[in-house]
Amino acid sequence: MLKLNTLMITLTLLYTRSLSAQAAGTQYDIRVDGLACPFCAYGIEKKFVKTDGVKSVDINIAKGLVIVKTGADKSFTDSQLREIINDAGFTMKSYTIPGNPE
Amino acid sequence: MWTSKASIINWIHKPATLLAAFFMTLSQPGYAHDPIFGLGPHVLYKGGVELALHSHRAKQGDDKETEFSVEAVYGITGDWLAGIELPYVQEDAAGERITGMGDAALFTKYRFWRLDTFGAQESAAVALRLKPDTGADEFTTGTTDAIVGLTYGYESIKWYRWASARYRLNDKNDQGLERGNVTLLDFVAGWRPAPPSYLNADTVWLLELNGELIAKAKRNGASLSNTGGDQWFLSPGIFWTKRNFAIKAGLQIPVSHDLNGNQDKADYRTSLSVEWHL
Repeated sequence: MLKLNTLMITLTLLYTRSLSAQAAGTQYDIRVDGLACPFCAYGIEKKFVKTDGVKSVDINIAKGLVIVKTGADKSFTDSQLREIINDAGFTMKSYTIPGNPE
Repeated sequence: MWTSKASIINWIHKPATLLAAFFMTLSQPGYAHDPIFGLGPHVLYKGGVELALHSHRAKQGDDKETEFSVEAVYGITGDWLAGIELPYVQEDAAGERITGMGDAALFTKYRFWRLDTFGAQESAAVALRLKPDTGADEFTTGTTDAIVGLTYGYESIKWYRWASARYRLNDKNDQGLERGNVTLLDFVAGWRPAPPSYLNADTVWLLELNGELIAKAKRNGASLSNTGGDQWFLSPGIFWTKRNFAIKAGLQIPVSHDLNGNQDKADYRTSLSVEWHL
């Protein structure tokens, strides 16, 4: 009986954590080449903010990093991210999703 | 001033106005971190809109000319833009002041090469600018002229460099007057004293070397002696931005001139622009 209770609690905790993660959405850390000036980088912010489901955009020019946070029901593919960055006039080098083992 | 017979005679006897008027119609709108007087390869993001207000002033001998213009630019793709510029001109000459609309300009620029690396962007672009005959009689050249340009630029967090060449092809007006074609050469360096941060104000200092090589004008096929020649300018400038707002200012100081016949050299030229990216 004790083992069953422990299993139930564990499953409940995992399910709650999963729901919480979904509600928080996804963060994309995008490495962008060509970033050198804040005025030009505005195009990146503008392109992402116009995309449905994007909650915030932060740009770190010194690190060549664009951090995009989305809502729970929004996700980007590699090609979508590359297209947005390219339309803004830059080149996406890579991206990671913090907390995602992949 | 070049469309009526009286204006043409006035123009021939007052060659000082020639270069000032050239300057007004040669003024190159800036896009983002491009040179102030030269041409750079910067374009606008896809779907982006740039609105800008420009003020250019030139003094040459006893003549002063000021141009105010409104410019709108649209980013067709991430590498291609198109825009329009509408100028309003004020000229002070011989104790008189005249004002009116200058010739509008349509322009486009295509960035055909781009190399992005960490913290730097290198690129090259071609540009075309058309100036149809749309201004007031006092200010229109009475012609449709074209400027083609080729430019290279390198932009990094600390340093900038640009080089460009432009050629202005002038048409002949109804009175048989054909202004000389113009070659423009620009070499520019830029320096950012402090590392940029996205939401903070950012400053870049510029130093340009601008050359103007102008052929003699012709009237009914005959060269006009007091026209054309070469001028070179050293031009310090500043580019200040905060997020999607920019102010650009520069001063052209003549450092060398070899003008044909009896012409006043340019005393100075200034440029002040404010830009918004929307």
